[in-house]
Amino acid sequence: MNPRRKKRLLTIIALLFGLSSAVGLTLYALQENINLFYTPSELINGKGPELEKPSVGQKLRIGGMVVPGSVKRDENSLFVEFKLIDSGPMVTIRYKGILPDLFREGQGIVAQGTLIESDVIEAFEVLAKHDEEYMPEEVAEAVKGIKHQKPTYNNNGY
Amino acid sequence: MIPELGYFSLTLAMVLCVLLFIFPMWGAHTGNLRLMRAAPSLAVGQFIFVLLSFAALIYASLTDDFTVAYVAHHSSSTLPWYYKITSTWGGHEGAILLWLVMQAGWTAAVALMSKSLPWPLRARVLGVLGFLAVGFMLYTLLMSSPFDRLLPYYPVEGRDLNPLLQDPGMIIHPPLLYMGYVGLSVSFAFAIAALLTGQLDNLWAKWSRPWTMAAWGFLTLGITIGSWWAYAELGWGGWWFWDPVENASLMPWLVATALLHSLAVTEKRGIFKSWTVLLAIAAFSLSLLGTFIVRSGIIVSVHAFASDPDRGMFILAFLAIVVGGGLTLYALRAGHVSSEGRYSLFSREVALWLNNILLVVATLIVLLGTLLPMIHKELGLGSISIGEPFFNQMFTYLIVPFALLLGAAPLLRWKQNKLKQVAGKYGLGVIIALVLTAAWLFSSFAKVSAITFMATALALWIVVMSAQDLLQKTAQAQSIKRLGLSYWAMLLGHIGLALVIMSVALTSAYSTERDVRVVPGEQVALGGYDFRFDGVKVIRGPNYTGHAGVVTVFKDGEQETVLHAEKRRYDIGMQFMTEAAVDAGLSRDLYLALGEQLTGGAWSLRIYHKPFVRVMWLGGILIALAGFIVLFDRRYRRRNPKEAQA
Amino acid sequence: MNKKWLVLTPLAVFLLLCVFLLKGLFSDPRELQSGRVNQALPAFDLPDLMTPQKRWTNADMAGQTYLINVWGTWCPTCLAELGYLTELRERGVTIVGLYYEQGYDPDFGDRFDLAALQQEVRDMLARAGDPYQFNMLDLDRQFILDLGVSGAPETFLVNGEGKVLVHHTGDVNARVWRAKFAPLLGE
Repeated sequence: MNPRRKKRLLTIIALLFGLSSAVGLTLYALQENINLFYTPSELINGKGPELEKPSVGQKLRIGGMVVPGSVKRDENSLFVEFKLIDSGPMVTIRYKGILPDLFREGQGIVAQGTLIESDVIEAFEVLAKHDEEYMPEEVAEAVKGIKHQKPTYNNNGY
Repeated sequence: MIPELGYFSLTLAMVLCVLLFIFPMWGAHTGNLRLMRAAPSLAVGQFIFVLLSFAALIYASLTDDFTVAYVAHHSSSTLPWYYKITSTWGGHEGAILLWLVMQAGWTAAVALMSKSLPWPLRARVLGVLGFLAVGFMLYTLLMSSPFDRLLPYYPVEGRDLNPLLQDPGMIIHPPLLYMGYVGLSVSFAFAIAALLTGQLDNLWAKWSRPWTMAAWGFLTLGITIGSWWAYAELGWGGWWFWDPVENASLMPWLVATALLHSLAVTEKRGIFKSWTVLLAIAAFSLSLLGTFIVRSGIIVSVHAFASDPDRGMFILAFLAIVVGGGLTLYALRAGHVSSEGRYSLFSREVALWLNNILLVVATLIVLLGTLLPMIHKELGLGSISIGEPFFNQMFTYLIVPFALLLGAAPLLRWKQNKLKQVAGKYGLGVIIALVLTAAWLFSSFAKVSAITFMATALALWIVVMSAQDLLQKTAQAQSIKRLGLSYWAMLLGHIGLALVIMSVALTSAYSTERDVRVVPGEQVALGGYDFRFDGVKVIRGPNYTGHAGVVTVFKDGEQETVLHAEKRRYDIGMQFMTEAAVDAGLSRDLYLALGEQLTGGAWSLRIYHKPFVRVMWLGGILIALAGFIVLFDRRYRRRNPKEAQA
Repeated sequence: MNKKWLVLTPLAVFLLLCVFLLKGLFSDPRELQSGRVNQALPAFDLPDLMTPQKRWTNADMAGQTYLINVWGTWCPTCLAELGYLTELRERGVTIVGLYYEQGYDPDFGDRFDLAALQQEVRDMLARAGDPYQFNMLDLDRQFILDLGVSGAPETFLVNGEGKVLVHHTGDVNARVWRAKFAPLLGE
């Protein structure tokens, strides 16, 4: 092989290597971070034609309405537990932190968290649905989605 | 009457823009100098009319003219006057009008400051800009006029500006961002004109470069202020959320950053020509795509307010014509462009090429993360969301090679280098960066994670290498004064990025927060400070009422400051807003947000201690400044001999 | 040769993207699978918004095909759809309003002021069009909850047997009407 060819071959190999590792890493990161959206009935009865149910430990988003009278607060901390419903079975959400401004019983909310039992979710983020779902797009654009009212928790401090 | 004049004025501006497209384009095609010469005056004329039109909207807003639908929807009589002005770009129609003002302004600026360009190129650049303006004006006039009236039934009071937009950050954020987006249309116009003319040489790169720099500077500033605003106003202490809207501004920025590095190579070495042109097309295309995404409600789908497919169709069609046309032209012409110039693997050319590759990969990742939920859904696979960790993870991977390269590249010369010449400097840089990082982090923080250490070391590596480079260049140029402004700009930009990396690393690792339930008199400790909750008082603003939680902050028993974290309820619309209280400082921010009222007189309170978060925005401002400094470099002002001497 | 294909790639990628964008533009982003569809409408017994002495129950609507529109004066999208709904009423569609009161919040020390709300509703309907046969007020949100409403506006199509045929989230406009409602009404 003449030096020029050799150089070209090396470049191509390097490119291919870079490309495949980039794609691999991206796919891996994607797989870890895709969150499916469920409603309470979908969570219990299964979603889609296959009636797929999420497995315990899976990260997911769930949207529904806060069942009036179901909100239980801990007297001494910010721990709160409530039930979500759409039209069928109910799901329990546990959350520790400050709820969004528009959180009310009977309101739609979206929670993001981990399924810890078949019908219990430990949320790390709770957002009031009104904020994002029914907002004029221009406002939504400007506020970049209130959904970002996102507490990122550190493990210290509690 | 005034709003109608505004509409009429915009119509006139559009007529001028149609001429601005046809005359110079035709003139350049046929070699008719008189037609080409008409372009600059047309460009200035349309700017004046667009400005008048914008003034009409501001007038309607200031005078509380609620017969104008836009004013009724986005303003109210109780709104302070400065927010009445900013409300003119708080909604869709007004924002597009502001976009037009920017577009017209850039076009006029190009017309006035391109006297040194040969006529065919100058005419075509203005013609392309005229074409773009026609598209946006048509859209405004036909689909989203801010001057529509609500007659005969109009409200006595407006619906008020969204409380989130009633913030100083919001006064400047959109105009800056739009300056950036629209400014990239100038780079685009230069690219298209060059493809049409067939003149893709280093002169072209040199002419296009200051415009790209200016647009990029505005974009940087806009993004920085947007991040600061989200931090201050959303009440959750976050500064970047990987939201589609933010991604829409980040993508053009990444490509524009690649573009200005690539332009440097094309200007200095006459290579990467077709790649540079492609980047110029891509940067503006992504600005348009971002607008489409945001405006059509296609991705921020949950935000779709009475989502109007006609509007979306128009923007998509415009996007297809502009981008599709640009890329077709590229496909036809760029194949014939040959780049000459030899360089070895170990050269500045290759370093800049790698920089471009990394930036483009970063753009693709953001694009993928933004569009995948939509594509997933269109393929019938259900709705998904892509979590922030995806972006964070990918950007962490990318920043490592990027920062290493950034530190190393400035020391490389064009064409060819001998490892021997630079190895010593690199070794020294690595050692100094590692030692400094270790000394600093281990002395200041109890726990240092590998990733924090690495990121800080990378940031210091950039700083150390920049310093070494400065010393070397000073020695070569014999005087620090003889280094060009471009060089200082580069240094500043790179150090700005180092600050951002450092700030992100430290604030992510060492921010602490507590969500607490407090009763008046109770004290909470966080990050070496004590926070005493003194209770809540009722507040009353011009257009809201609410509660303010009063918190006295102590450090080592001494009173540091008193903070008022507000929870407001705006009178119109009954919207709640958390107005966080921030005690700002370079080395740390104390950030307080008032939560809900609990039983027994208690309130929930969120307290953050965020070290070095402010350094991030400082870095952003330095980067933007770099873009503006270049504009004053002698090289770009040579046509004016007086200034060159000054 | 090689280079010619290379310079075509950006165009090809862009065109592919356009196809998805076009498709995305015409698919309803607010598609929501509702558990209510094809089930009986839950029972309700609610006061009329304007004359609270009058109460409405399922029996009042028996045998009719009608829309239930969940709305509120606080909701901008609701205002936006009033015009189209009014048009529907003029074409003979029966629309029942289910008023969703958001501003009322006892935790914040609010008192509910019916007279003020009635005035607000009257003003808004006078301005933007009144599509409603009548409005029901669901202050404690019991019926709203039973329906699985997650916000406003939402619209339900109920047939003569009291079965929910459609549950639509977001505004009703000509496009939505054609795609989701009209086929079921045999229009």
